[in-house]
Amino acid sequence: SASAPPLRLSSSPELNCARDTHNDLPWQMRSLFNNQLNMVDLNKLNTTHTNIPKIKEGRLSAQFWAAYVPCDTQYKDAVRQTLEQIDVIHRMCHEYPEVFKFAASSQDILDAFEQNKTASLIGVEGGHSIDSSLGTLRTMYQLGVRYLTITHSCNTPWADNWLVDTGSEPEMHGGLSEFGKQVIWEMNRIGMLIDLSHVSEKVMNQVLDISKAPIIFSHSSAYSVCNHKRNVPDDVLMRVKEKRGIVMVNFYNDYVTCSPTANISDVADHFDHIKKVAGSSIIGFGGDYDGVTRVPEGLGDVSKYPDLVAELLRRKWSEDEIRDALGRNLLRVFSEVEEVRDHLNGTKPDDIPIPLKEVQNPCRTDFGYQDKSSSTCIKSFYPLVLVLSLLNKLL
Amino acid sequence: MASEKVVVAPLAIKMVLHNDLALRLRMHFKNKLSNFSIHDNSNFATDIRRLAAGHVGGQVFAAYVLCTAQDKDAVRLTLEQIDVIRRMCTENPEMELVTTAEGMRNSTKIACLISIEGGHSIDSSLPALRMFYQLGVRSMALTHNCNTPWAESSASLYPNYQRKNNSLTDFGKAVVNEMNRLGMLVDLSHSSWETARSVLKHSTAPVLFSHSSAYAICNNVRNIPDDLLLLLKENGGLIMVNFYSSFVACSHNANVSIVADHFDHIKRVIGAESIGIGADYDGAQGFPKGLEDVSKYPALIEELISRNWTEEELAGVLRLNFLRVFQKVEKVRE
Repeated sequence: SASAPPLRLSSSPELNCARDTHNDLPWQMRSLFNNQLNMVDLNKLNTTHTNIPKIKEGRLSAQFWAAYVPCDTQYKDAVRQTLEQIDVIHRMCHEYPEVFKFAASSQDILDAFEQNKTASLIGVEGGHSIDSSLGTLRTMYQLGVRYLTITHSCNTPWADNWLVDTGSEPEMHGGLSEFGKQVIWEMNRIGMLIDLSHVSEKVMNQVLDISKAPIIFSHSSAYSVCNHKRNVPDDVLMRVKEKRGIVMVNFYNDYVTCSPTANISDVADHFDHIKKVAGSSIIGFGGDYDGVTRVPEGLGDVSKYPDLVAELLRRKWSEDEIRDALGRNLLRVFSEVEEVRDHLNGTKPDDIPIPLKEVQNPCRTDFGYQDKSSSTCIKSFYPLVLVLSLLNKLL
Repeated sequence: MASEKVVVAPLAIKMVLHNDLALRLRMHFKNKLSNFSIHDNSNFATDIRRLAAGHVGGQVFAAYVLCTAQDKDAVRLTLEQIDVIRRMCTENPEMELVTTAEGMRNSTKIACLISIEGGHSIDSSLPALRMFYQLGVRSMALTHNCNTPWAESSASLYPNYQRKNNSLTDFGKAVVNEMNRLGMLVDLSHSSWETARSVLKHSTAPVLFSHSSAYAICNNVRNIPDDLLLLLKENGGLIMVNFYSSFVACSHNANVSIVADHFDHIKRVIGAESIGIGADYDGAQGFPKGLEDVSKYPALIEELISRNWTEEELAGVLRLNFLRVFQKVEKVRE
């Protein structure tokens, strides 16, 4: 790039330590190695945006790793595959304990920082991963998952995704269904961060209406700067501010400049815009490294965060504002979500299942539902299934 | 009978295995715990009042999903069952979720342990197995009444994955290895004898039959023949006797005495230290007269005392044998 060489601020360590909320390295582990971690050395891997030397150079102090499975697993084996992605993240932390420290709380993030390690958290990217099951949501929380992206790029039986806003997919729920609201409230109750990247605009607004805790956009940028439907419009930015949430800027060129090319300055434009509209308290880094193919010149991999910080400093961001964006905002949101959880402690888990008719598909059995009158081919099998199941237990 | 009461009192905290209450919760209540009273519920064979009356100190709850969910949504259903057990055991002040032998030993409440009843729950995925372990699952039956792609069931109800030979495939051995490595109990109830034989030869940790009885007394394929009992002895494992009438008496008429016959027989073949109780309450209908629900265990103990079982042997059967095996399995992990 033609601008002056970036300023490295080694004098203030906190000014260089980024906390990023979306990295798809686990998906690369699956695509490239089928999750066989003993076939890869993260110290030497050089075909991805992320590896250990680059993490160190980029001073990445916390990272939400995405446990992502594609939308075509919906109504098939999404749950199992998601468990496998959660597992690979845990194993990655075990394999490289000097580098990664598994984290599941705001305090854990601070502890990892003290130990000079990268706090490693898990975000499940897509509501299809929970297969319309609050029990599954709860057990994933138990496994350390701390955010759920409400949809990926497909509708779930209870929420619409961003493609609905482009007209390329039919709207199914007008935002969230009744069960979708149950999901939001249960997430508030257990302390799971709600991630609105990938959802439709109606879902954004409805969640902002009903959530009892602040929300996040783990990897979305500003719609006013690049009018891509994966980005966040100004009115929503202001609502996020009211709700004390955060929008973590995505570096994917197509979302930064609405074109296949971009540079650091273009990314900084998003930071500037969001700050102008809603203040620096709602901004952060959600690079989407290893989840996308085209990243900006000057931000080619995870070692480059300090260069972006330098650009912001050049644009007269104060140190305070930069600290907010680098990580204080995330910590604030995370703590507040934990507080809401603690406040709701003692309320009962939601165990009302999704209505059967909203979720019928050939891969789904319907054990436990008493009223099967709305099911079609399953209905005639029910007496047979019951008899078989009793026979089962008798043998 | 005053002397019997004195003997029973020191054995007041019991170890019981294998309870399918969670299955009933799904079938009857869609897992809605709010609709279900765990304190006093005459519809089921288990509730806290009766667990207390039966002096039950520990209970392994099975997160079980029907075989018809194999290759469909078995994984999700299993997570939901694990969730309902966890909630049941943490929402009730008399119960406590445990995940270690020590936790079980030291608990002053009804200690809950989570198990999975059937390898179809892991959908042939070792990561899923590991995640279940992380959720607190400490025992898994390799099969229920259906074969998995890698192990064979004793039942031939379902056509899937039937095979001749290869009752435990290489992947099946990998599953057993991973269970050994994690410290998860391998449960062979419901597996075919050939699968059990392979596992008994391959496992580096003791294994168990969580709810099976003696084939010599009642020749049902869910029971265990003497030669397998001997392999179990070598392995250092445990057989937890099932009370279900069809398995103990090969008929619907059973009583405490025939159940005790199983205990006597197994003791004769491999010793009292290899025996435990795996009643299978709420997993079936049809239990012996005098042993209809979890409060009736003392009746069995009294019968065994009258057959000259020593206090030490009974303490083992009730609790200590299981804890010993569980501890050994944890040691293999280290």
